[in-house]
Amino acid sequence: MNRIARRALALLLLTFLLLGGLAWFLWEYAAQAETWVMHPGSPHVYDDGRLASGLVKDRTGEVLLDLSNGRTYHSSALYREATLHWLGDREGNISTPLYSYYTAAMTGYDPINGLYRYGSQPPSLNLTLLAEVQAAALEAMGDYRGTLAVYNYKTGEILCAVSTPTFDPEDVPDVAGDTTGAYEGVYLNRFLQAAYPPGSIFKIFTTAAALDSIPDVLDMEFSCTGVYEMEGGEVTCESAHGDQDLKTAFANSCNCAFAQLMERLGGDTLANYVQWYDIVDSISFDGFTSEEGNFDIRGAAPVQIAWSGIGQHNDLINPARYLAFVGAVANGGTGVMPHLVKSVTLDGKEVYTAAPQRGDRLMTLNVAETLRDFMRNNVETSYGDENFPGLTVCAKSGTAEVGGGRKPNAMFTGFVRDAEYPLAFFVAVENGGYGSSVCVPIISQVLEACKAAMDQWDGF
Amino acid sequence: MESLIGFVNSLTEMPDTYVRVYIATLRYAAPLLSLILLLRCAMPLLTFRREPEIWAWLCVQGGEKLPITHWENVIGRSRLSDVVINFSTVSRNHAVLTRYDDGSWTITDAASSSGVLVNGRKVSICALEPGDVISIGGLEMTLEPISAQQERRLSELRTKAASIWSSLGNVLLLSIFQFLLASAYGMAGVERAGEVLLGFGGIFVCQWALLLFYFCIRRSSFEVETIAFFLCTVGMAVIASTVPEEAVKQLAAMVLGVVVFLGIGWALRDLERAKKMRYLAAFAGIGFLLITLVFGETYNGAKNWLVIGPLSIQPSELSKVCFVFVGASTMDRIMNKRNLILFIAYSALLCVCLALMNDFGTALIFFCAFLIVAFLRSGSVGTIALAISSLAFAGVVAVRIAPHALRRFTIWRHIWEDTMDAGYQQTQALMCMASGGLFGLGPGKGWMKYLFASDSDMVFATITEEWGLLMGVLTILAVVALALFALRSAAVSRSGFYTIGACTAAGILLVQVILNALGTVDIVPLTGVTFPFVSNGGSSMLCTWGLLAFVKAADTRQNASFAVPLFRGRRRDRE
Repeated sequence: MNRIARRALALLLLTFLLLGGLAWFLWEYAAQAETWVMHPGSPHVYDDGRLASGLVKDRTGEVLLDLSNGRTYHSSALYREATLHWLGDREGNISTPLYSYYTAAMTGYDPINGLYRYGSQPPSLNLTLLAEVQAAALEAMGDYRGTLAVYNYKTGEILCAVSTPTFDPEDVPDVAGDTTGAYEGVYLNRFLQAAYPPGSIFKIFTTAAALDSIPDVLDMEFSCTGVYEMEGGEVTCESAHGDQDLKTAFANSCNCAFAQLMERLGGDTLANYVQWYDIVDSISFDGFTSEEGNFDIRGAAPVQIAWSGIGQHNDLINPARYLAFVGAVANGGTGVMPHLVKSVTLDGKEVYTAAPQRGDRLMTLNVAETLRDFMRNNVETSYGDENFPGLTVCAKSGTAEVGGGRKPNAMFTGFVRDAEYPLAFFVAVENGGYGSSVCVPIISQVLEACKAAMDQWDGF
Repeated sequence: MESLIGFVNSLTEMPDTYVRVYIATLRYAAPLLSLILLLRCAMPLLTFRREPEIWAWLCVQGGEKLPITHWENVIGRSRLSDVVINFSTVSRNHAVLTRYDDGSWTITDAASSSGVLVNGRKVSICALEPGDVISIGGLEMTLEPISAQQERRLSELRTKAASIWSSLGNVLLLSIFQFLLASAYGMAGVERAGEVLLGFGGIFVCQWALLLFYFCIRRSSFEVETIAFFLCTVGMAVIASTVPEEAVKQLAAMVLGVVVFLGIGWALRDLERAKKMRYLAAFAGIGFLLITLVFGETYNGAKNWLVIGPLSIQPSELSKVCFVFVGASTMDRIMNKRNLILFIAYSALLCVCLALMNDFGTALIFFCAFLIVAFLRSGSVGTIALAISSLAFAGVVAVRIAPHALRRFTIWRHIWEDTMDAGYQQTQALMCMASGGLFGLGPGKGWMKYLFASDSDMVFATITEEWGLLMGVLTILAVVALALFALRSAAVSRSGFYTIGACTAAGILLVQVILNALGTVDIVPLTGVTFPFVSNGGSSMLCTWGLLAFVKAADTRQNASFAVPLFRGRRRDRE
């Protein structure tokens, strides 16, 4: 019997095998449980690869999308079209990282209770967008292709950002079979996924660099005859602007003056500022990552370097990134990163609340003040304060040549200087023509809608 | 008027709130209650004192008295013998001294070189009368069994099993657990709530009836049974959320299982009867498989189902119990190597049947059971022969079943690389388990029910999803407790027959949990094996209760097991 009792200890081997395997599994569980729950195939979280439940609301609580049962969009076609690029469509042609980025918060997952929830209300993803302003922006863009965005440069909240063309996700058009070009790039969220030649709105950046690096830049004199000869070519203006200081040259958007400024500044210095100000970097928020811009003067002739400072040559900017830069100027030299999600609520509790993401100081307050003054001067002298009733707007327009015989892109960016309306905006109208004449009427409507909404709603 | 409407509305919403609060509380209460219950049951099983008992004295010439501490004792020169006689003419394993239930003793020659002489006559097996002179290797000795009075004293001193009050308390706790679970499923509005409640109620009645029966036959230990009923209750919870229409069927299987448990226990009660039953079991074991081979139906690639009218059974499950019966053996037979060869031949025959049936999971369990039996019986001597035969065993199985099983092995540890097809079942199971957290999503709130085999092969995930990881771990630990108990009993077991039976049965339970639970979570390859007592399936339920009888039979604590007769002091006094 002794012998058998001793051999029976072999059973311990099986026991250790079981307990060891269990311990191994528990370790894997501890390390990976959340990944498993959030896996796209996870049946409690996703329904056929899509988040199974949840509401997406605008900042006033208007339900823009109910994710359950195969998605229900807002009842208004205008709202649906205006928010499509943020909410995504059913077919997945326009996908949005919002839901996967906030899945953990929306499902209320925690390692102790898993997905168990006492309550049964669907979670809600609350956007910073104002649906009515979004709609107003879409209407203002009309049939133009492009993007328009407004954000609060103090808090980073995006109030509206539309991308055109768009379509109604409840009445999907035949995009592939379209030959009119009406749906060109319709699946792109141009605010994030486009990179445009900036044209003269790039002069905001060039001027900032000049103000920061050339001590006597405000005393410089520039003369314009309409053409400025340089090594390798010439820089031209539409008319002769005569003798100007920097402020006037900025108001006239005088290419010849900026070519002279670039000779003083140097391409390498500007390239350094491109890096410091992150002008061509992508920007990320709420799971989105924008397209990168482009600034490349390697091996460029002096005239090309000059054009680079004017926002032509091979310059490209992404609307979201450039808006954040203009926001930094508006905010006195320190930017606040834009974001789209205000909060996530679950069973009446806020499980995620966005906090303003303050960036590093880009420029001194002095430089920012001077730029604000220059941009204010533009509106006063050329764009017209009467277009922005009740608002103190500072702006710069741009008309970016795109070549290929197409009309130039109309660009317009700036901000409202009033403390109660801290809004920065960006408009790009593809092949729209002359910058200010196309964009001013559009942004004027949208800023008016923003002002009205901000007057009406608390909590801005 | 408005306030009246509001009041009516609040009334209709009220029950919903109650249910929610109830289930929110139960999520924590259920694992806590299970933990207390398991601790109360497992502690006595794992900590009972195993004191040596002296049944007789061997008086060697020269006045030395050697204590005989077991019912089956190997006498020999080997250090591992129960009675060590370090004398060069004595063989390493010379003879086996066996005590019987009635107090009589026999001596058996264990193929020794010089043989065993009783009263000068060479014997191979001989019943010992008082005063008989035994000669082993030229050494003379006599056996002095303890007196009836000493035996009674021994039985009084023997560790008592838990008191009937403690068992009563455990069953009461279990009943509360069942009530809580049943009411939760009732409230959660599962389909066929009536049948589900009947299922829980049936387990409740069955356990109380069995306890009452134990009380009547003066047995008080109910820990092993309580653990089994606990696991059955968890199994019923799984059925309630996956296949509620099978609740009553499963209950019937459990009741039948308890009957099988009592039947096998009765058979094991008398070792002589058990030894005779062994031959019956051997024929039944192979018979079940042969019948399946001829008349069986193929499901999921394995021809292991027998359909008789409305009944569908898996005879291979019943063969498992028979196999344990066949594998068990007394020490005097173990010392005879011819038996092992017969056993290997028998196992090989079974393996051929299973190979022909394509039943990979069962084959694996038989293989492990075979290894356990073979090791317990042979120790070091036959290991080489065993290794060869087991290799052949595995080889035949592997070659025959390769296409069926290969897929499972290639996906093993790679399930996340193919979540849509080969890894679908397990990745879904893991996602569901993790969704449940530590305390589960609540009754009926799981998604596992839509997954294939969620009530059988994937049952570990189903428990974990709805009742939490803690409950899942507790079900595993419950089986571990049973196995460790079998192991502890081995040292004080009366006969090698019981020890081998209990250890093999426990080994099978362990292997099934390893393959089921760890297979579900991709620690070992998924083989499609049932979780003892928990998985839905009648044959499996019968088999596990049958195996439990072997574990129970090894329990020698006083008043513990119906499978061990009480000491009949009075009867012997009268003689």
